[in-house]
Formats: sequence, C-alpha cells, structure tokens
Amino acid sequence: MGKQERDVRISLQTLRVLEAFLENPTDELSGADVHKRSGIASGTLYPILLRLESAGWFVSRWETVDPSSAGRPRRRLYRLTPSGLTRAGEVFASFGRGVPA
Amino acid sequence: MSTGEGLARWLIQHAAHNAPPELSERLEEEWLADLEVRRGILARLRLAAGCCWATKVIAYEHAAASVAVAASTTGSKTMTAYAQHDDTFFSRRTVTVVAIVGLHVAIVYAFVSGLTHQVYQVLTGPTEYRFLPETKVDPVPPPQLSGAPPLTSTKVNIPSTDLRIDVPTDTERILDVSPGPAVIGPTSPPAPPRAVNRVLGGPGKGFPDTDDFYPADAIRKGLQGAAVVRTCVDEKGRLTAAPTVAKTSGTPSLDEGALRLARAGSGHYRATTEDGQPVSSCYEYRVTFHLKN
Repeated sequence: MGKQERDVRISLQTLRVLEAFLENPTDELSGADVHKRSGIASGTLYPILLRLESAGWFVSRWETVDPSSAGRPRRRLYRLTPSGLTRAGEVFASFGRGVPA
Repeated sequence: MSTGEGLARWLIQHAAHNAPPELSERLEEEWLADLEVRRGILARLRLAAGCCWATKVIAYEHAAASVAVAASTTGSKTMTAYAQHDDTFFSRRTVTVVAIVGLHVAIVYAFVSGLTHQVYQVLTGPTEYRFLPETKVDPVPPPQLSGAPPLTSTKVNIPSTDLRIDVPTDTERILDVSPGPAVIGPTSPPAPPRAVNRVLGGPGKGFPDTDDFYPADAIRKGLQGAAVVRTCVDEKGRLTAAPTVAKTSGTPSLDEGALRLARAGSGHYRATTEDGQPVSSCYEYRVTFHLKN
C-alpha cells in the first residue's frame, strides 16, 4: 500500500477510532488497545486501521520485544502522524465536536 | 490449547492466508498477537470471525486501489471510472439493502398472490369434509323402582272459612289548601249508616287572602307558622259561631291573625253538601303564614 496521503471516507466508526487515538495523540496503540477504547469489532476495526495507514494518517511498526523472552508475540503498534493529527482535528472541527480532550 | 482457541487460531490463519499476499504475513502475526490479549473463548472466537470479515474488506479495497493505481500509471481514465463506480454501486451496504427489499417484496407477493395458502395446502394436503352418518338413538324408558310405592293422586278437602276483615272507618280528613288556608276534615260525629254523599265545605270563592291578615309584628320578627282553625258555617257559607283555634301555631299573634282571617271570610265559605244539598256543619282548616322573599 502506498504511503501517499489522500482523503479517507469518514464514517462513524472511523471517528471513534480517531477519537481513541486523540485521547493521547502520542500513544502507540495496537488493534487490541483500540478495540478496548472504542469498542469497535475487529471486522470493522482492522480495515479502518489499514485504510488510515495507507492514507498517511497513521504509521505502524512492530513492537520491539523479544517474543521468546516476553512469552507472547510482538504486537503491531499504530500512531498518528503529524498530518494525521491535523486532519483528524479538522474532521472533528467540521462535525462541530472539536478535538476530544 | 483448547478446541475453541485452536479454532480461533485456525480461523485467523485461514483469513490471513486469503488476504492480499503482501499483507498476509503481517496480518496473521498482528491478529494472533491481539488474540493473546483477548480473554475468554467467546471473545477470541469473535475476534477470529471479525478477522475473516476484515480480510474480505481489505482484499476488496486493496483490489480497488490496485485498479486505480494501474489506471493512473497507464493513463486509462475509463478503468479509473469503472473502479470508482464499482466501489460505490456494489458496496456491502447496497447489497444488503437490495437483499432486504427483495425479501420484503417476496413476502408481500406470497401473501397477495395466495402463494402461502397453496404452500400450506401442499404441506398439509387438501381439506376433506366428511359427513358422519346420523345415528338414531331409541329413547330409553326410565327404570322402574321395584320397592317404591306407586304414585297416586289424593284429593284433599279444605273446609271453607268465612273470613271477615273489619276495616276501621276514617273519621277525619285533612284537606291542604296551601298556600291558602287548609281545610281539615270534620270532627262532627260520623255520618249515619245510611249512604249519604257528603262533600265537606271549606274556604270558597272570594275568601280573603292570608297575606292580608299576616300580623305586622310577626312579619317584623320573621315569625312563620300554621294554625288549625275550627269554624261552623251554615248552608250559605256564613259563620254560625265564632271560630276557635283547634291547634295553635305556637305564636299567639299568628293564632290571632288566623282567627281574624276566619271571621273575615264569613259568607265566603263553601258549605258542606249532602247528596248535593248544602247543610250547616263545622270543620277545621289550616291557615299557614309563610314569609315570601
């Protein structure tokens, strides 16, 4: 998928995903973390994460942990890009909700 | 590893395998890592089922994006237009709406066209009506009681009795002539046993108005009451004796007013008649003094 920044179709579920990240924009969240914060089912959540990443709103990386020593597989972590943060703020402003605190 | 957890892992691996090749490995590792976080077999199975659906969405969007990229690199605007059209027209929401509408149309059609009735008949078979043969039931005679005596009618003679009821004769009548003076039946001895049509007299035509004899002091004090006056008149309606108070009103001035009224009415009394002939008689009547607002 390309990293070229482009428009994303904003649905209610997309807003809830962005809201989960905007609680603390510097947080890196896995899909499980976003599910806990937003309550969105996995069937909807993962396509949104990939869509926002391909649109350049998110970047993702693998967790730097040794699976054998941690006793669990490494997680994929997502984070808002500076432009993604700006776009998310614009989206919430256009809906009249403002950026969540 | 339980069966449910194994099923969840298998579903995720299967879903990731069907994802676009460049994402397959990443998605499998990512989803399996998230699976570890979920607690409870139901939550894990729900995650796995969601991943199966997510794979379809991701593959679909990935294919649409690939077509768009190919179109942009080859300069084919037609292909780009097709990809965009395909993305909007055959979206999951559109397909769902069309399916729901189609289902409703089919149900309504089934009811309107009688299809449901036909299906019901096919399933249950045609309705058969069978008339049951009429059976005659012979009336059964009531059982004869062997030990009971036969029923016979017995004539009972009731002796006739001569029953006589003595009804006391009314000797006094009260005629209320309110608001004017009231007439009370005679206190004279009862009529002789011969049959006489006796009609009591009383205040007649031209009798003075009670209000004209209402005592002034009683009006001032607001006193009201009724006095019964006894008068004796001849066959021409004239007093033959001075009227007296038979029953006081409780107020001397009202009693006096009633007597003055009785005296003033002399000559205007209606005489008592016997067989249509006026006779002299005595009778009582009530004089009521009532204040009008």
